[in-house]
Amino acid sequence: MAVLEVQNIEKNFGKTRVLRDISFELEQGQTLAIIGSSGSGKTTLLRCLNFLEEPDGGRIVVNGETLFDAADPATRREKEVRKKRLHFGMVFQAFNLFPQYTALKNVMLASELLAKELPNYKANKKEILANIEREAQALLEKMGLADRASHYPHQLSGGQQQRVAIARAMALKPDIMCFDEPTSALDPELTGEVLRVIRGLAEQKTTMIIVTHEMAFARDVADQVIFMDDGVIVEHGPARQVIEDPQEERTQRFLARSREGGGSPSPVRG
Amino acid sequence: MFWEVTLALLKGFGTAAELFGLTLVFALPLGLLIAFGSMSKWRPFRFLLNAKKKAEWKKRLAGFRPIKLIVDVIVWIIRGTPLMLQLMIIYFGPGLVWDNNIWGSSTGGRMTATVIAFVINYACYFSVIYRGGIEGVPQGQREAGEVLGMTRAQIFTKITFLQTVKRIVPPMSNEIITLVKDTSLARIIAVTELIKSSEPFMRINGLIWPLFYTGVFYLIFVGALTLLFNFIERKLSYFK
Ligand SMILES: Nc1ncnc2c1ncn2[C@@H]1O[C@H](COP(=O)(O)OP(=O)(O)O)[C@@H](O)[C@H]1O
Ligand SMILES: [Mg+2]
Repeated sequence: MAVLEVQNIEKNFGKTRVLRDISFELEQGQTLAIIGSSGSGKTTLLRCLNFLEEPDGGRIVVNGETLFDAADPATRREKEVRKKRLHFGMVFQAFNLFPQYTALKNVMLASELLAKELPNYKANKKEILANIEREAQALLEKMGLADRASHYPHQLSGGQQQRVAIARAMALKPDIMCFDEPTSALDPELTGEVLRVIRGLAEQKTTMIIVTHEMAFARDVADQVIFMDDGVIVEHGPARQVIEDPQEERTQRFLARSREGGGSPSPVRG
Repeated sequence: MFWEVTLALLKGFGTAAELFGLTLVFALPLGLLIAFGSMSKWRPFRFLLNAKKKAEWKKRLAGFRPIKLIVDVIVWIIRGTPLMLQLMIIYFGPGLVWDNNIWGSSTGGRMTATVIAFVINYACYFSVIYRGGIEGVPQGQREAGEVLGMTRAQIFTKITFLQTVKRIVPPMSNEIITLVKDTSLARIIAVTELIKSSEPFMRINGLIWPLFYTGVFYLIFVGALTLLFNFIERKLSYFK
């Protein structure tokens, strides 16, 4: 069974139809890359999955549980949204780390707050918090940031900040990790270290959706690729096929343009 | 003579400090309330958007935010006119309009009128600072908290509050230092603050130095505040 089923998602901003009839499925441990030109609705789609936007139509099903159904008002209640969004982890283009906390605290904060809701929190407080810290340390280590745990975000490079942000999203052990152009805000020489970390996650069978402009990365790391244009899924297939042998004319044109532009499909470092 | 002047100025300083303190105590929270008002998104005619035919006037009315409009107009008036004028209107207004001087002729009544005028005026200035501080925190900070399953209260207390404070401190310290000097306006309705306390020595005794001495009081007060604000800014400088 698929971890994630997205069915007929619609989203309008006023008169602009930003997402139209978006449907796809994602299997456990698979990586889906979403490509498409700017303004095609990629960010909006990830924001819908994370309940930052409410779709106007469609269903979102995770592990067989309907998290959102536009036709069923009961699934749209504010109170439950908090719990539901924990199925997804989100990594933003702009990192959005909390500047007043160290890297470690950025990773631990949400876990600490959620732990307070545990019935046995008072009794085992020390143990629970020690556990959270240990896990956060381990995550930072995995991101290659063991020696940066006590640094504040402004003391870190963009690539390091984004890796902290990945650790922060992973800390809550979401079913599906979402990345919105995780390297777009980075200097070119820093994209490699972030892509390397994401590649590592893919190799460990983390279920992921990655919006990216790095075509070579999508081809090499993703299992499937979706090409979006103007709010619709134009093409959806195995990564290598969509990037190297696209069937749709619009996909072909987009890929040709991105090859001219960034000289992109070169092998990814790392 | 020196002690006589010192004693008079200390008394005037006490009045000025009282006005300063009371203004802060009431204007700081009131300003926050006004700030929330000016950010109010309440749109009572929003239902008009559900209509099939969306005429232009319906769209206009649907976007109408009455609380924001009222608050913005009040803030515009208060910030657009001199505090001295507001003070005079509040103190003399009731007597002139209703033939009823609600403030009485006592020192206490004059002080109350002054505090009210100052609180209204400064609350409006503070509201603009608060609003800038709150809106200056990037939306991405709130969203990052949301996707991590935090409640609105947690996002406020754990994420946005400190960032807002950090943004607010520099403009707030400017405004509060201005308030120290603005207390001198109270003399217009015969509140014996610092300058009014030193005036007799100039008029009657023909002395100039009490005026400079008065300046020293302001300088020490402002100097102490500056040290305090620098301390707070330094405390918050560990993050950007
Ligand atoms: N909050 C919003 N209000 C109005 N329009 C929006 C909003 N967010 C996105 N849009 C519009 O939706 C379209 C898709 O945006 P987006 O999802 O950011 O595309 P992408 O991430 O593929 O560049 C764009 O035309 C954009 O202008
Ligand atoms: Mg985008």
